[in-house]
Amino acid sequence: MALLDIKDLKVHFPIRGGLFGRAVGEVKAVDGVSLSIEQGSTYGLVGESGSGKTTTGRAIIGLNAITSGRVMFEGKDLNEGGKRSLLNARRDVQMIFQDPYSSLNPKKRVIDIVAEPLRNFERLSAQEEKRRVRELLEQVGLSAETIYKYPHEFSGGQRQRIGIARAIALKPKLIIADEPVSALDVSVQAQVLNFMQDIQKELNLTYLFISHDLGIIRHMCDHIGIMYKGRHVEQGTTSDIFHNPQHIYTKRLLAAIPDIDPTEREKQRQFRAAVKAEYDQAYRDYFDEEGLAYSLRPISSTHLVALPGKGG
Amino acid sequence: MSKLATAEADRSPSGWKIIWREIVRDKVAFASFLFLGLIIVFVYGISLVLDQKQIVTVDLFSLYKPPSAEFWLGTDYGGRDVFGQLIIGTRNSLSIGIIVTLMTGIIGILIGLLSGYFGGSVDNVFMRFVDFFMILPTLMIVIAFVTAVPKYSIISFSLIMTAFLWMGIARLIRSKALQERELDYIQASRTLGSSHLKIMFTQLLPNLSSIIIVTMTLNLAANIGLESGLSFLGFGFPESTPSLGTLVSYARNPQTLESRWWIWLPASVLILVLMLSINNVGQALKRATDARQRKG
Amino acid sequence: MWKTIVRRIFIMIPQLFLLSILVFLLAKAMPGDALTGLVDPSLDPAALEAQRERLGLNDPWHVQYWNWMIHALQGDFGQSFRFKMPVSELIGQRIFNTIWLSVATLILTYLIAIPLGITSGRYNDTWADRLITGYTYLGFAAPLFIFGLVMLWLFGFHFDWFPTGGSVKPGVEPGTAAYVFSKIYHLLLPALSMALITTVTTVQLLRSEIIDTKQRDFILTARAKGASESRVYNRHILRNSLLPIAAFFGYEITGLIGGTVFIESIFSYPGMGQLFLSSISLRDFSVVTALVLLYGLASILGALISDLILSIVDPRIRIK
Repeated sequence: MALLDIKDLKVHFPIRGGLFGRAVGEVKAVDGVSLSIEQGSTYGLVGESGSGKTTTGRAIIGLNAITSGRVMFEGKDLNEGGKRSLLNARRDVQMIFQDPYSSLNPKKRVIDIVAEPLRNFERLSAQEEKRRVRELLEQVGLSAETIYKYPHEFSGGQRQRIGIARAIALKPKLIIADEPVSALDVSVQAQVLNFMQDIQKELNLTYLFISHDLGIIRHMCDHIGIMYKGRHVEQGTTSDIFHNPQHIYTKRLLAAIPDIDPTEREKQRQFRAAVKAEYDQAYRDYFDEEGLAYSLRPISSTHLVALPGKGG
Repeated sequence: MSKLATAEADRSPSGWKIIWREIVRDKVAFASFLFLGLIIVFVYGISLVLDQKQIVTVDLFSLYKPPSAEFWLGTDYGGRDVFGQLIIGTRNSLSIGIIVTLMTGIIGILIGLLSGYFGGSVDNVFMRFVDFFMILPTLMIVIAFVTAVPKYSIISFSLIMTAFLWMGIARLIRSKALQERELDYIQASRTLGSSHLKIMFTQLLPNLSSIIIVTMTLNLAANIGLESGLSFLGFGFPESTPSLGTLVSYARNPQTLESRWWIWLPASVLILVLMLSINNVGQALKRATDARQRKG
Repeated sequence: MWKTIVRRIFIMIPQLFLLSILVFLLAKAMPGDALTGLVDPSLDPAALEAQRERLGLNDPWHVQYWNWMIHALQGDFGQSFRFKMPVSELIGQRIFNTIWLSVATLILTYLIAIPLGITSGRYNDTWADRLITGYTYLGFAAPLFIFGLVMLWLFGFHFDWFPTGGSVKPGVEPGTAAYVFSKIYHLLLPALSMALITTVTTVQLLRSEIIDTKQRDFILTARAKGASESRVYNRHILRNSLLPIAAFFGYEITGLIGGTVFIESIFSYPGMGQLFLSSISLRDFSVVTALVLLYGLASILGALISDLILSIVDPRIRIK
């Protein structure tokens, strides 16, 4: 059984307008997403901004209300059973935020930040709490001496480590990482990513990794889902997606990955132009009248692509 | 609870230190701060010794005496010592100013936090409520309430003032909370299992503390001004409980205004100096909380 | 644009309704009722009770409110027992004095604010700016009633330059030039006293707006294109800095309501504020309720005007 299993998730936001601020329409931020993640693996959710990947992550953890669909965690529906089951699931599902500057409360010391989940779920004495926070900080590679410092005394990479320490404090099973390195310097990105992989092995964590950077996704993930306008266009193992892309949108995304070899520059340019021509020409075949992707169809045991159904 | 309290004590210095440093660096603000401190100690100290009953008792043998060794600032139309009334009046005006500022602060912070943190329909309901209070002609309504209340006392007076003065701070806190709640640390707290109440008071509120302090300081000056204004018009404290405004109100008698300056001028100057000092401290606090304006 | 107006007016209706209920209940809560002062105290209590019944004073409050509201909508606020005349007539005599005072104050406020604000903002950190900033610093802290008293003391009594009370010299024939001049003469000191205090926020706002605008990119661009200094100020900076001042206009109106009460009381100027204070002291409550309602209406209109100006000035807050 998969650790996390999402069936036909929809998150719609009302658009208010008119004289009395009534809902006059809705934005379909997430419009029928299904995916499942195995214990210990990493699932990468890729897409341009506005594709609904972040909203998907936030809906799983309960920050955005789910319009319809099911989110099953360890076989239990997170939407059923009211607040209590949600609260218990929260212990097991944690999140790493994109912006390490705004995700740490500037008025709190490191000990208060990292201990916040412990204070909510575990009754520890002040001594035990301090010891746990020190351990967690050492685990993420920060000096245990820093517990009385404020967030502004740290660099972006260090702040993200504090965020990770906070996320793993309750020993969760699933971590939703929403663009965890995109706000960091490129030089620090690799450090944090490798560290995330180390800690995954150590704690047997499962990641839902949200990013727009295919290079990072390839480095981190076992399975990949590509999103466009709130729907999946393609889903498969990393090798399915990178070596056998089927959907035109996926192909175009892959073509856009920069190549660092300068001798290949002209070839790359021509390749990109060719993909763009194909994209423009085949757009109508791959998307419906509203410009949305079709439902996913399996083309192998692991690989699903959103292709128009035969005769429907 | 105690754990939380010690945590608060340990982490406070940073913010408070900046504020304190800013006030000390700003010479005018520091002088104002010292002056206010001295006034408070002096006024509350002396009024403990002063016999209030004797001061407000009419003495027909010493009407309108100019300043002398016996009456430092002369006497009023009832032969009452102006200096004594000035001390007690300052104490009363300061006390009610502080009480009203604290009460409006608490109500305003609560409503502002709830409204800004939850947003949506909660915000809508609260803000319609605030809008209604904002359009009331505050001065007239307060005066009308003061006359309508059957058992009029200092408590009912401060309650009436509070009831019509909490909206400004509520609006401010609400708009700041609306901005702040979009930041990831609030979302993070939710994913970490903190309740809404806990997030509001332990995560959001500390980030609004500086703006709250600045606003309450400036409100204190405004409230003292309004109280003395109401007492000046005759709808504040009863005459047996003098306020600074009561002394100024004697100047509504043209003869007193023209030729008996000792009755109304000292109180007027004192009100002005108090307001200036409180504003100075408030402006320094404002600079301290805005890093761009800090002096160093 | 029209949607904003319609919506704002929709918001006004419940506000007016709530205000009228509040005022009505306030009137009911005040000691005594419309008959207390109206009738001869030697009258037989039974006859008094009959009178009460006849006037509907024993009806449930919502019935009384309804009757009162219907009358108020027709401009009938009952009788003033002190002046023995209809309240509406009494207020009609006073309301124009208060309106003149307010208009004069507003004109003076902007006559003072605009040159001072522009000087202060354009030549910031010069001695002129420091002088103006010093004035706004004092004016911001000084309570209106103290400043008004000092003005009356100095220019009314000490120097004897201005009259110390009333709205016109007694005995002057209405309609003549002398009458108009006398009115203006009586208006000048109260209006100036109020304007000198209320203008302070506008001066401060204008100054900081100009200093802000001066450093904006489009001003640098205008300079870089070689526009003359006066053109930069008149065409670019002023146009942008005066908009927030315009938006502030509605708030000025609301601020005037409280201010006129103090000023009219200090200068014995026979306007609505003075009538309000004397009526409440003498428990002439039919006048009080009518006045509170009128002031509330003025306040609602002030808020409406400021919102509308704001939505014209700042298209972002317009309702689509």
